[in-house]
Amino acid sequence: MAPLAPFPEPSPARREAFAALKAGLNQSAGAVPRLAAETVIPSAISTLDRALGGGFPRGALVTLEGNAGRWSLAARLLAQVTRGALAAIVDDGGLYPPGLVRAGVRLDRVLIAPATTALATARAADILLRSRACRLVLMSAPDLRAAVWSRLATLAHRAGVLLIAVVARAAAPLAAAATLRLDCALERLIFHGTRGLWCTFSGYQISMRVRKHQRAGGAAPAHARVRAATALDGAVERERTVTREPSSAFENYAHATVH
Amino acid sequence: MLLCISAPDHPRALWEELLDALDAVSPLVDDVRPGLAFLDMRGIAGTPPEWMARTRAILAPLKVPLRLGAGDTKIAARAAAHFNDGTVCAAGRARALLAPLPLALVDVDRDTAERLRLLGIDRLGDLARLPHGPFVRRFGPQAARWHALANGIDRTPFVPRGHAVAIEAALFGEGRADDEAQVFFALRMLLARIATDLERCGKRAGTLALDLELEDAHTHRFEIPLASPTAQERAMLDVVRAKLEGVTFPAAIVGLRVRAGGLEEGGEALPLITGDDFDPQIVAVTIARLEAVLGATVRRARTRPAHVLEERFEYDRFEAPQRTAVAAPPAPELSEAIVPQLRLLTVAEIAVQVRRGEPAFVGDPPQAVLECAGPWRIELDGFPGEPLARDEYDVVIEDGRRCRIYHQGPHWYLRGLYD
Repeated sequence: MAPLAPFPEPSPARREAFAALKAGLNQSAGAVPRLAAETVIPSAISTLDRALGGGFPRGALVTLEGNAGRWSLAARLLAQVTRGALAAIVDDGGLYPPGLVRAGVRLDRVLIAPATTALATARAADILLRSRACRLVLMSAPDLRAAVWSRLATLAHRAGVLLIAVVARAAAPLAAAATLRLDCALERLIFHGTRGLWCTFSGYQISMRVRKHQRAGGAAPAHARVRAATALDGAVERERTVTREPSSAFENYAHATVH
Repeated sequence: MLLCISAPDHPRALWEELLDALDAVSPLVDDVRPGLAFLDMRGIAGTPPEWMARTRAILAPLKVPLRLGAGDTKIAARAAAHFNDGTVCAAGRARALLAPLPLALVDVDRDTAERLRLLGIDRLGDLARLPHGPFVRRFGPQAARWHALANGIDRTPFVPRGHAVAIEAALFGEGRADDEAQVFFALRMLLARIATDLERCGKRAGTLALDLELEDAHTHRFEIPLASPTAQERAMLDVVRAKLEGVTFPAAIVGLRVRAGGLEEGGEALPLITGDDFDPQIVAVTIARLEAVLGATVRRARTRPAHVLEERFEYDRFEAPQRTAVAAPPAPELSEAIVPQLRLLTVAEIAVQVRRGEPAFVGDPPQAVLECAGPWRIELDGFPGEPLARDEYDVVIEDGRRCRIYHQGPHWYLRGLYD
């Protein structure tokens, strides 16, 4: 049997084209594919929307986790949704509506279902998702069984409703059922004015990390930074970096029941 | 010619019954207020005494003491009734008839009547003789109306009373219903009748009142608002079914009555339906279902200006906005900034150590306060003996938490956390 002829060396042009293709593939491996516009609810925060592939996916269970900015981000989404549709909040008593108004939420388009127990919260979310009356349902995540989270995620998917669960750290059942997990971490606090009477806490810089994104090919290592600021005229802006991890000192304080 | 019927101090229900009976005298009845009504008798055969006799005969079964009078205008007819029962005020005689009557007849308020009495004016004749301009300048714009009425000039329009349409369906004495399937079957039948009646009248129902009579002689009433007035049987049944979800009764149901309320003219302006359009009826069913399950009202928040944090908002019942309002072109794009949200906590006392008049350590174990904003003093309307002010602070503690705390009396409280 005659020996095989040696494999011909690629030409320099072919070698360059191959190197360019390889570099392009490596570069796009970490990027999040862009989702269709009609399947997302954009937060209108450009860095975050880029990291999510266009916005928060409709028909998904999304968890907002972390130590800062979760409700601020949720309020932002409410503001976006209530520009042209209804939204619902399953309220555990911690809601402060004037803050929502400052975030741009149309309160007349927000249906508030008071639910102070885990069972009531789950049932309220179930009814709201089944009805398809609202485009967004926002709730604090109580401790529920995996089957319940799975059912809520399925209902959200069928109804095309964005279900947002706000929690410090998602337990395993919620983490498994969630389509998107977003981790919010505090980077800097922003103040206006000096200490004391002339000082106001006006916002913070938070970083958001996508821990899981099923619609965009698994966990994309995407980060986004949001800087909230409500500048006062002439006030000096100061920043403070907080490095220590939050303690559980205030975990035992229950949310208020406001009727 | 107008006929005045004066029958003060009677319950509203009896007055309504009386007005319904007056339809047999004239189709145009002006219900000014309970106890006073006018009938437009133009075009009706007979003379004023005959009309009055007919009115008395029709109202006789009600056994209501009446005063009747007739005149060209409302004030003339009213003066005639007040002057003497059965009086007819001839054209142009109103001023003379009014002259000896008290000021209350033209609805002069009590304070002004007292002031006029001190000035020696206690009859309409005295009032009519006053010069118009100075009287109006002294007693205000309403004095012009009093002066005109005292002179027998009445430009008050005749406002015919609307006819209330009662649309209801009931089922009694047909046996008893022990399970929900039987109740819903009966309800469906009643709502079908209601829907037919609504359609016949060209109306839509805005509310439904459902009365359930139980075997133990108790009656349960459910007021069921419909987000969007409708005449559709299916839509009404959905809402009623949602309202009854989870409700249990101690005895079998032996009677049902459904009454349609909040009637509106039929026909709903529907935009072209798109996937994102919400249906007010679906919202109504959702609200009814949530309320049945949660046992609490589904709410909508409203903000209001107030100094105290807890008073800056209030809740009322959620009502679905108009579909066209929601579908209107959306508001301008929002800016990129997000706004920190305060999450309220149940007010609880918290340990705070103060240095140089400011909170320095918060919580137990204590955490150093990195930043402190405030105090903002808020005056309170407390009970006797309670402190009437509190000082609020926003503090940032070592681990980055942002807290709203306040100082009231000797104690410190945690009100909420920013998130």
